[in-house]
Amino acid sequence: MGYLNGFAVTFRKLFHNTPTGAIVTTEYGGGRGRKHDEKRPKADRVHGRHVLNRYEDGMEKCIGCELCAGVCPAKCIYVRGADNDPENPTSPGERFGFIYEINYLRCIHCDLCVEACPTEAITESKLFEFSFTNRQDAIYTKAELLVGDDGMPKHLPWEDWRPGEDLMTSAWMRATSPSGDADYVGKVAWSGELGYGLRAPESGQTTEGAWPPPAGASHDDHGHDDHDDHDHGHAHGGNH
Amino acid sequence: MSDTAAPTTVAITVNGVAVEAKPGELVIDACERNGVYIPRFCYHSRMRAVGMCRMCLVEIDGGRGPALQPSCMVSVSPDMKVFTESPVTKKAQDGILEFLLINHPLDCPVCDKGGECPLQDQTMAYGPGESRFVEEKRHFEKPIPISDLVYLDRERCILCDRCTRFAKEVAGDPLIHFQGRGNLTEVNTFPDDPFSSYFSGNTVQICPVGALTAKPYRFKARPWDLEEVESTSVVDSVGSRISVQSSRDRVLRFVGVDSDPVNWGWLTDKERFSFEALDHEGRLGGPLMRGNALGKLDAKGDQLVRATWAQALGAAASALTEAGPSRVGVLGGARLTNEAAYAWAKLTKGVLGTDNVDAQLADGLPADVVLGLPRATIDEACTPGGVIVLLGPDPKEELGALYLRLRHAVIEDRATLIELTPRSTGLSKFAAHRLHPRPGEVGELATALVADVAPTRAIAGVEPAAIAAATAALRSGKPVTVILGRTSLAEGTDAIVEAALTLRDGFPGVKFLSALRRGNVHGALDMGLSPGLLPGRTTLAASRAAFVDAWPNVPTATGLDATGILEAAASGRITTLVLLGADPLRDFPDAALAKKALETVEMLIAVDLFVTDSGRLADVVLAAAASSSEVDGSFTNLEGRVTAVRQKVTPPGTARADWMIAAELATRLGGDLGLESVEQIRAELAALSRIHEPLATGAFGDRDGVLITGGSVTVAPRERAVVPKSDAYSYRLIATRSMYDLGTVLQHSSSSAHLAPGTAVLLHPLDFDQLGVEAGARVKVSAAKASLHTIVHPDAGVPRGSAAMLFNQPDADVGGLLDARAAAIDVRVERV
Repeated sequence: MGYLNGFAVTFRKLFHNTPTGAIVTTEYGGGRGRKHDEKRPKADRVHGRHVLNRYEDGMEKCIGCELCAGVCPAKCIYVRGADNDPENPTSPGERFGFIYEINYLRCIHCDLCVEACPTEAITESKLFEFSFTNRQDAIYTKAELLVGDDGMPKHLPWEDWRPGEDLMTSAWMRATSPSGDADYVGKVAWSGELGYGLRAPESGQTTEGAWPPPAGASHDDHGHDDHDDHDHGHAHGGNH
Repeated sequence: MSDTAAPTTVAITVNGVAVEAKPGELVIDACERNGVYIPRFCYHSRMRAVGMCRMCLVEIDGGRGPALQPSCMVSVSPDMKVFTESPVTKKAQDGILEFLLINHPLDCPVCDKGGECPLQDQTMAYGPGESRFVEEKRHFEKPIPISDLVYLDRERCILCDRCTRFAKEVAGDPLIHFQGRGNLTEVNTFPDDPFSSYFSGNTVQICPVGALTAKPYRFKARPWDLEEVESTSVVDSVGSRISVQSSRDRVLRFVGVDSDPVNWGWLTDKERFSFEALDHEGRLGGPLMRGNALGKLDAKGDQLVRATWAQALGAAASALTEAGPSRVGVLGGARLTNEAAYAWAKLTKGVLGTDNVDAQLADGLPADVVLGLPRATIDEACTPGGVIVLLGPDPKEELGALYLRLRHAVIEDRATLIELTPRSTGLSKFAAHRLHPRPGEVGELATALVADVAPTRAIAGVEPAAIAAATAALRSGKPVTVILGRTSLAEGTDAIVEAALTLRDGFPGVKFLSALRRGNVHGALDMGLSPGLLPGRTTLAASRAAFVDAWPNVPTATGLDATGILEAAASGRITTLVLLGADPLRDFPDAALAKKALETVEMLIAVDLFVTDSGRLADVVLAAAASSSEVDGSFTNLEGRVTAVRQKVTPPGTARADWMIAAELATRLGGDLGLESVEQIRAELAALSRIHEPLATGAFGDRDGVLITGGSVTVAPRERAVVPKSDAYSYRLIATRSMYDLGTVLQHSSSSAHLAPGTAVLLHPLDFDQLGVEAGARVKVSAAKASLHTIVHPDAGVPRGSAAMLFNQPDADVGGLLDARAAAIDVRVERV
């Protein structure tokens, strides 16, 4: 009969208030069709579903270097690089990510891939509300991970995106010098991003010297005068 | 060093610890041997030290106080004190790395070397944590192809001189150089002169940064997703040690491993890039049989269609049973591992009972000569100060890793090279004596070489003075090694055998290093895949009794060799022919006979990785696993050294190991090989052959393997071959191979397939002048059996009266001109 005691604890605590008055057992926010169809706010640095980003000119940021796959403790990332077509490059430089797959049955959302990425190609959104019913759907390929032409993450049928959630899914901070350009050493700044341009600096960040100062809010188009510097940062760029 | 009472060790102090060094040893080597690694970029133990990179600077106190010196340029001296971890040394290392990184682009994420890069590793271990360099780096055009196989990225180069030294000193193809001065110094080729060395891949391997990268491996994987296993290259018979590296069950590269007695870490590009053939789209993933256009099996069908193993093995077995032992022939076996060769020997000789088995395709030497002469190792052949007689093919073209060893022996170790080849070879530049006898007459030349009285007239087209000089070199009392192989496919073996026996009898103590080229041909011969032989280097005549108990059946009489088998097949006396990785249409030196034989034979069974030209005519094609990296086993190289071949990836589809195919066939033939694993095969072999006992204990599994010596084969005496005199209008044909040809593996390696140079007919410039045509003009080359059209070029390396062509090239069917039974072949060259 011992296990019934366990259930008893659960039922006893179901409507039990803590000394602070909060109800310990809360209804999970979300769930479409439910009465309270809204998500609870998430912490700033929640790790969710990954996004593969593009530069402002639409080029892919991923160079297929496999550092994310190398650092992944769950071995859930599979990347293969290939030669860029010099006439029609996929990414700046010689190499691009030819295959990029993340197996979400294995991913533990530790974010080490994001830290390892030398080009800020892979970042994590805060979306964790996605579930799939077969293994095929669980393995996200480039087709699912790469942002669209508007710079926004793709919305897959089994993912619960809400308005605004697909904003600011990109842009980890640049803490070290890109492509060995010492001008940027020690400068902490955002990198340019298709769909977002440059983000306004947060406290402790500076854009001085790193990029032309952002003109305004993150959604503004920063114009094409950004491009020269942007290419400079990724030295052996293609011809865009 | 003089060897008179020289001390055997030198006492030095490394970081305060007393260690023993060898006299004359470099400080960098002495430290490494005693567990103190000094970082370096330019120093490579197989090349001369140049002190270019300064990374190995350490404080050395030779008695006058410590001072920074490059440890790769300083030999140890008594009571020397070395400080590899002193603050001064640390500061020097730090500074050198900062200098090297000034212009090094930090594109490690896209660099193929990233993750296994000495510059990365040593910067992490010894370098500055942060860069102070804020200026613009030097820029060059990103990778430029400097050959068909190698890319050069000059931005990444740290000018260590490794690749240029390798090309000049080791390979002898000085095609990449330093150019420019000062900050603009770069490594590059000259315009229109690509780095088309047979050994170019080695520069990729030794490059300490990602400046040189290999096209076949470009962006295929990163070092951390590679798994490796140490194995042996099966492409040629040198048996170079390699590291097979794969990712996700796909072999992505071969890397040379330094085996001191064999390849010293070097590989030919043919060996290095042969991995591409493993997952070529033409790889067979299952058996094929004759069928019609609808894919249905049809014995009269005009194409090969998929079949099941049961169907294919059943058809093969019933044809073999029907034909009976005397009407079955088996060609090939050099592709197999030793274990597979034993299984096939047991199947053919022990179950079928036929002795018509030949692992060679009349392009080598008789098995008794290869196994019966006193054998030398590569190290013995390369003895410093020794005498090397080249009575075989051009090692540069056929046995590249051996060529590098021989070249080193002649240039660095003062060996004397005597060439007895029909034309000049890649080693001619270094040969002390170049004797180029007329094809088919080398036997007479050898007789003159051993004679007590110097000849007074030219022998076989060689001047008496040259013969006398070579004789003097041979009699100098230094150890003599003969590199023995087939000098040219257009001459018979009798003269070569006669020359070898003459040299053996004339110079006691002479040893022979076999230069048969094809894969594991020496293993196949050791396992008895040759008429008259049984496993364990023994003959049917001598050991039949011992095998009668162990095997269900043993042939009673010696069977036919490759030429005999094909002649019998062409005349209908052999009705079932098994091609064990053989492609006679391409490789047999009489293309017409091979074609007639394959078309006449009733049942042609091919066991191969691909559908070869000969395989297209087959009735049944059985899909085999590749001996390189798809099976476990062992390999016997040209010295008789047995090393391990290891499986790294799974074979495609249902392709299976050759020994399993033999075992399956045996079951269907009503026998049972009793072989269930490679270990069991080795145990059975060791029980039957005393010389192969080390295989059962696993002792061969080390890097250098074990040398199998002994055996009871003796060379049968032969009569002198009579070479018909040629008329004044004819040239003696010389047919040799080049590194790149239409070989099966090469043609399925996508980056190397197009490298076959094609052939021309080459004549001595004086002969060429008589022809009265321009260089490059089209001519007709006619032999007794056939003729062909090709272009003609003068070549001073071809002796007067001879005409040289390359065999098995895409643009001319030289095989059609040849005759496997002829002692020599005369051709006429006419303008068209």
